[in-house]
Amino acid sequence: MTTRTHSTVYNEKAPERCVNTDTVPVKIGALFLSMLVFAITLGSFAQAPIARFIDANGKTVAEVQVQYQNEHVYLPVDAVKQVIDPETTHQYNHPRQRLTLKTKDREIRLQIGRPTVTIDPGAEPVTLATPPVIIAQQPMLPIDFFIQLLPILNDVEVIYNSRLNRLQIRPKDTLIPIETNGTQDLTIIVDPGHGGPDDRGCAGSTGILEKDIALTFAKQLQWTSRQHGIQVYLTRETDTQKTHFERIQVGKQKRGQLFLSLHCNASFSPHEKGIRIYVNNPKGQLRFPSTTKPALTGQRLKILAQANYLKQSKDLAYALQTELNFLTETPIQIIDLPLIALSDTYMPAVVLELGYLSNVEDLEKLSNSEYTASVAQAMTRAFQRYISAINQNIPPEGVEPQTPTSSR
Amino acid sequence: MDIKVKHHNSAGFSRLLVIWGITLGAIAICLGVTLYIIERSKQTVIPIPPPPLPAAANPLEAPPEPQEVNLFLLDTTAMGLVPVKIERRLHRELTQRLNQVVTALIQETPPNFRNTIPRGTELNGVYIDSQQTAYLDFSNHLTDGHIGGTTAEFLTVTAILKTVFDAFPDDIRQVQILIDGKNIETIAGHLNLSQPLHLPQ
Repeated sequence: MTTRTHSTVYNEKAPERCVNTDTVPVKIGALFLSMLVFAITLGSFAQAPIARFIDANGKTVAEVQVQYQNEHVYLPVDAVKQVIDPETTHQYNHPRQRLTLKTKDREIRLQIGRPTVTIDPGAEPVTLATPPVIIAQQPMLPIDFFIQLLPILNDVEVIYNSRLNRLQIRPKDTLIPIETNGTQDLTIIVDPGHGGPDDRGCAGSTGILEKDIALTFAKQLQWTSRQHGIQVYLTRETDTQKTHFERIQVGKQKRGQLFLSLHCNASFSPHEKGIRIYVNNPKGQLRFPSTTKPALTGQRLKILAQANYLKQSKDLAYALQTELNFLTETPIQIIDLPLIALSDTYMPAVVLELGYLSNVEDLEKLSNSEYTASVAQAMTRAFQRYISAINQNIPPEGVEPQTPTSSR
Repeated sequence: MDIKVKHHNSAGFSRLLVIWGITLGAIAICLGVTLYIIERSKQTVIPIPPPPLPAAANPLEAPPEPQEVNLFLLDTTAMGLVPVKIERRLHRELTQRLNQVVTALIQETPPNFRNTIPRGTELNGVYIDSQQTAYLDFSNHLTDGHIGGTTAEFLTVTAILKTVFDAFPDDIRQVQILIDGKNIETIAGHLNLSQPLHLPQ
């Protein structure tokens, strides 16, 4: 009764406000709810990690949302359809926790929590590094399932980049010795930039020097390439100072046919990072003049000589770009600049900047031996891609070199 | 006796008024000047006192008017070059004018901008030949003090080239960088500076 009276009085004094007090909480609630839903949706999209499957040319074949459990990566069973065989069907026996995948010609049996995978017909059981699990009442396959089984099921080679959750599926036997493949043999000169006490290059905040990183990568590349039958010589094997002329002389003595100079980059900004590939383009942003003094004619001839190899240099740059893109978050740029390491090199030549020592992330990667090995493997594959393109007379695909930007 | 006291009081009051008036006026002027200086300092255009004219200059000739010059410096992101205007009374003679502009690029770095040229670098001299090639002779700090890396080296060279070509679009066609009077192959081991360079049109 009292309440009613109060309500009446209130209604009489301010009927409009009374209407508002009824609807405002509803409106606020609805607004809050919609904002919450929007935030959750946005958050789920922003945070949903994916695994990317790419082909040998770096093109994306499939993108699959993944889930993490105990630092392991798991994919839904449907990913098998996208990656292995689109006609795959699956059955899950809930009480027994058995998962059966049927592709066109194979039957794959797994048990939740157990690493053994049986493949019928005719394949040895495979022991996965991580067993399948149940997440949100759904059976999930570990990423190792794809890494280990794809080569058996589809006769391909799989390279996994765990940092970026990226799997490259490429035809098997791409990394076989060149001689046994009957292809053209090629001698490659790898030039670790800088060297000696007076030419240290740039330095990282940890004290690590460009000359040392360049030499470490060059030695790893030489070792990896030789494992696959590619003849690689270094312009310096130790921490010694060499002029550019002396480096070129090593290339000549060894009858080099490709020249790859390895360096590290540095920027005034600590945020700039990533691999860069440089080719010597006389039409780049910094140009040599069309007319020069007569005294410089000899040098001009040398520059023109390198310009004659520009097409092959670009082809090598494209091959490196395609293979190294697998290791990087953003696509690698090919830039044209008149660089000293490329100026009078009488063969196709490229400068590869392995990363920025002025960037913390790059510095950490460049100091990591696993990263060094994966870059060396990627560069070896790039050499093979280049050689195979020469043999088949197919120019490697790639993005045209860019002129560097000095303004933003 | 009463009248005298009154007269004395009114004169003291007038004097007090005058003193107060002068004080308030002075405070107002000081405030105005301070505000004006603060406002001026916020602008990108930075007035730089003109250097003394050389003794050889014609005394009858009027001093040159201040001119705007663009110095190419790194912005706050330090990833790209931006033109920053300064005002300077430039010499009438081309070589001396070039010397003034390149010296300004080395020495003038306004707040919020960063120079791509290592601190301590000096300009030993400049020379322009008949083919409109400008030779800029820097001290060895340019090479010894450089942070290295192709990106940083590219930005240093481009800052010099852009500043020169922007200030002298008709007088200079190409630039050759020298260190202590000698030709150099490179600043930090990457860019080829053995020949004069120019920027594409």
